[in-house]
Formats: sequence, C-alpha cells, structure tokens
Amino acid sequence: MLAFLAGLLLLWQIVSSLALLPSYSLPSPSQTALRLVELARDGSLLPSVEASVVRMLLGFVLSAAIGLSVGVAMGVSETVNSGLRSLFLGVQTLPSAAWVPIALLLFGLGDAAIYFVIVMSSMAAMAIAAADGIANIPPHYLRAARSLGTSGLALSTRVALPAALPSVVTGIKLGWTLGWHGVVSAELIKSSIGLGFLLSAGRELNDAAQVVGIMLVIVLIGLLLDRLLFSFIERRIRVRWGLATDTSGR
Amino acid sequence: MTAVPLVGADNAPSRITLRGTFKRFVTPRAWVDALGPLDLEVAAGEFVVLVGPSGCGKTTLLNLVAGFEAPSGGSVEVDGETVTGPGPDRAMIFQEPALFPWLDVEDNVAFGLRQHGQLSASDRRAVAAEYLRLVHLEGFARAFVHELSGGMKQRAALARALAPRPRVLLCDEPFGSLDALTRERLYAELQELHAATRRTTLFVTHNTREAACLADRVVVLSPRPARIATVRRVELPRPRDFYDPRVSELAGAILADLRGAPAATGATRLA
Repeated sequence: MLAFLAGLLLLWQIVSSLALLPSYSLPSPSQTALRLVELARDGSLLPSVEASVVRMLLGFVLSAAIGLSVGVAMGVSETVNSGLRSLFLGVQTLPSAAWVPIALLLFGLGDAAIYFVIVMSSMAAMAIAAADGIANIPPHYLRAARSLGTSGLALSTRVALPAALPSVVTGIKLGWTLGWHGVVSAELIKSSIGLGFLLSAGRELNDAAQVVGIMLVIVLIGLLLDRLLFSFIERRIRVRWGLATDTSGR
Repeated sequence: MTAVPLVGADNAPSRITLRGTFKRFVTPRAWVDALGPLDLEVAAGEFVVLVGPSGCGKTTLLNLVAGFEAPSGGSVEVDGETVTGPGPDRAMIFQEPALFPWLDVEDNVAFGLRQHGQLSASDRRAVAAEYLRLVHLEGFARAFVHELSGGMKQRAALARALAPRPRVLLCDEPFGSLDALTRERLYAELQELHAATRRTTLFVTHNTREAACLADRVVVLSPRPARIATVRRVELPRPRDFYDPRVSELAGAILADLRGAPAATGATRLA
C-alpha cells in the first residue's frame, strides 16, 4: 500500500516535470508540499483547518441528532416510514453543493447556512440507516425480551437500540463523509475562512499548488476520522455482534 | 438445590387452562383458522409436549399462552387469571436461541433478573453463575454469543429463561436446528433441569421420539385448525434414555396417532 502511494507520487513528479502543462495548473508534489508548509507558516492553514473541523463537528452532531431521531420514528412507524423514505431517497440524489444556493437565500451569509448544508447533506442517510436498523431487528429478540418481562422504554433502550446499533453506526459513518462534503461545498462558495475558502482562494490566485495541497488536507482529515474513529467503532461492533470475524485479536 | 438467593424462589409452578380456545388470523383478503376450539389443562409442574403436523397451529398455541397473541374466542388462563400479554412469569425459548449479541453470556442469563428490582448487581451475577453451572456453561460467562456452538447457545437461552424462576416455561421446537448428538445430550439435561426446577413446561415439537423422551403427557394435535387428537400419559421412569426401546415404542405409537390411525397396542414396535 505504501509502495503503491510512493509510486503514484513518483508518477506525479515525472508527469509534472515533463512540463506538459504550466506549473500554475499542474504543480509538482514538491511545489505542493512547499506551498502547504508556507500556508502553515504564514498562519492561514491551521485556523482554516480548525474552522472547518469545528463546523463539521457541530453540524454533524446536529445532523445526527435530527437524523437518528427521525430514523427511529421511521423504524417504529410504518406511516412515518412510507411518508419520509421516498423523500429522503430523493434528497440523497442531490449533491451537497446543490444545497448551497438555497442555504444562502434562507440564512444569508452567516455560519447558519453552512450548518444547514451539513445537515441536509448527511441527515437523510443517517435517518434511513437507523430506520432500516430498527425495522430489521430480528423479531425473536423482541419476543425473548418481552417474555423476560421487558416492556416500554426498557424494550427500546435495552433491546431495540443495541440490536439496531450495527446499522446505525454504518449510517453515522456514511453521514460523517457526506457532512464533510457539505462543509467544503458550503465554504467553497461562501466563507472567509475554512478549507473550502482556501480552495477557492487558490483558484482565484491561479495557485494550483495551494488547491491541490488543500485537497490533500481535506482527504487526510476525512480519512483520519473515518479510519481512526468510525471504522474502528464499526469493526468492534461487527465483531462483537458476530457479523465479522476478529482478525486483530481482542 | 443451591445456596444462591434465587429470584422468586417462592414462585410455585402454574396451572395452565385453555377453554374453548380458538384462533383465527384475518388478513385483508382472507382468514385462516389456526387453532381450535380446544380445551387443555396443564397441571402445575407438569411437562406437556404438543406434537402435530407442521403448520397445524402448535406455535400459535404457545404464543397464546405466552401472551404474544390474543385468542379470537375462548380463554387462556394461568392460575385462573386470563392472559393479557407477555410477562416474566411465562418464559419462552425458541428454535433460534435469540441471545443478545451485545451482551456476553452471563449478562444474557442475567437479563431477565433486571426486572426484579430487589436484586443487587452482585446477586444477579451469582444467580446467573448458578444457572450457567446448571446448564454446564460455567467457563463461558464472559464469552461472546457468537463464540458458542449451537447447542451451547440453546443451553444459555434455557438458563436465561429459567433464571428469573418463571412459573411456566414455553419451548417452541428449541432443539429443531441442532445436530442429533447435541440434541440427545440436551434431552438428558432438560430432564435434569425439569427435575431440579419443576417449572410447568409446554414443549412443542414434531419429533415423536423427542416427545416420548421428555413428556409427562403427550398431546397430539390434528392438522390445522389444531384440535386435540389423542392424549397419552407417559409413565416411563426418568431420566429416560433417547434410545430406550420403550421410548421408541411410544414414539411409534405417537407417530401412528399423528397419521390418524389409532395404534393397536404393541403393533407399532419400531425395528
């Protein structure tokens, strides 16, 4: 895997050194790295990383709260499910950037517009995953619990939620990725700070090294959280639930 | 049996009474009569096995006693009280062990004990450990569910059902998907458990030898809608061996009942 990445980097270096395109549209890896270091030195990179990540975290928590609640309602009620499912499936076909114009019209130039884009990008996927998780709980789990005297709220918290957890976590992981798309899309069009802003600033300055460098930073942060946090949790749950075999030892 | 403070140790086993009990399933386009009307009385502490052709409504009968479904007519009573819904006095085990994969084996067994508010966490653990010992799973308290074999899962499910000392144990073909060797061991263990706990047991199967091996009384049901075809009291001494010739003979007689031909005594010896 590392060798493959190194090879890819080498290929990039060779192609850019052929100078088929001017360096302001196709930078070399070394130019890109240099530009990232400059951005970090002059103090414009870190505040933007921080701004994007903080927006993402807030927006994601909001989105998960809404999405999972709606999803549980869908999982429990066939009426709610049949009403919302086709709507959500439709909404999911919209790229997150498509939410930006309406967000600006609705919320103006504040951060509220960015949160709106994050929520609209990621909420539906989490709702559908939660709804499927709850609707697909094996009925004998619920029967066994009820014949052991579990009812009402305890049936939801002690049985239904843990039983639906693998699907819910998969939904949260997907929601995180979609929300991250949303942040960058929104910042690209409207913002004076953030990774999306640095992207569009780079384009305006004909600075391809900055554009490519920031793209790499976006990928890196997205991957880091996905791999380190969500995939880890998801894997733990799948092993525990007997859905996957444990290869790492526990 | 044990020094552990058993939950509801004063819970006497219950008497189950079905009178004119009838169940019809209605769908928008059709209806199906699944059961009865039939009368059945199960004495406190008795082990009754229901045998019937597949799809005859055996499971429906269990579901009515468990309270998962309501009868369309007649009554279902436990100790003279009409069943209105599921409750911890009537534990049920299924063909799928239905253990919760998010809990380890001990927490599964202790699950039903949470409803008994007076029990501390350490008491719950002690009771769970006691029942794990009873089903020969004492080394597996901290195991994940998926690490158990099919037979071990069903044992754990049995321990989970019995730990809160239900008055009634309902078994819906619990050994149906196990291999023959495992099943035979579990017949012996279930007889031991019944002798130790004396829970009133309603056990559904279509395996006539299983019925002959386990039952105080075998109730043979007719094809749908299930009615009582024959009743056989089984007086064979316990514990019974699955390959005891008297068990085989009785199994043959039950099979004959199932086929609708009354068996002449001694005429259905299996080779």
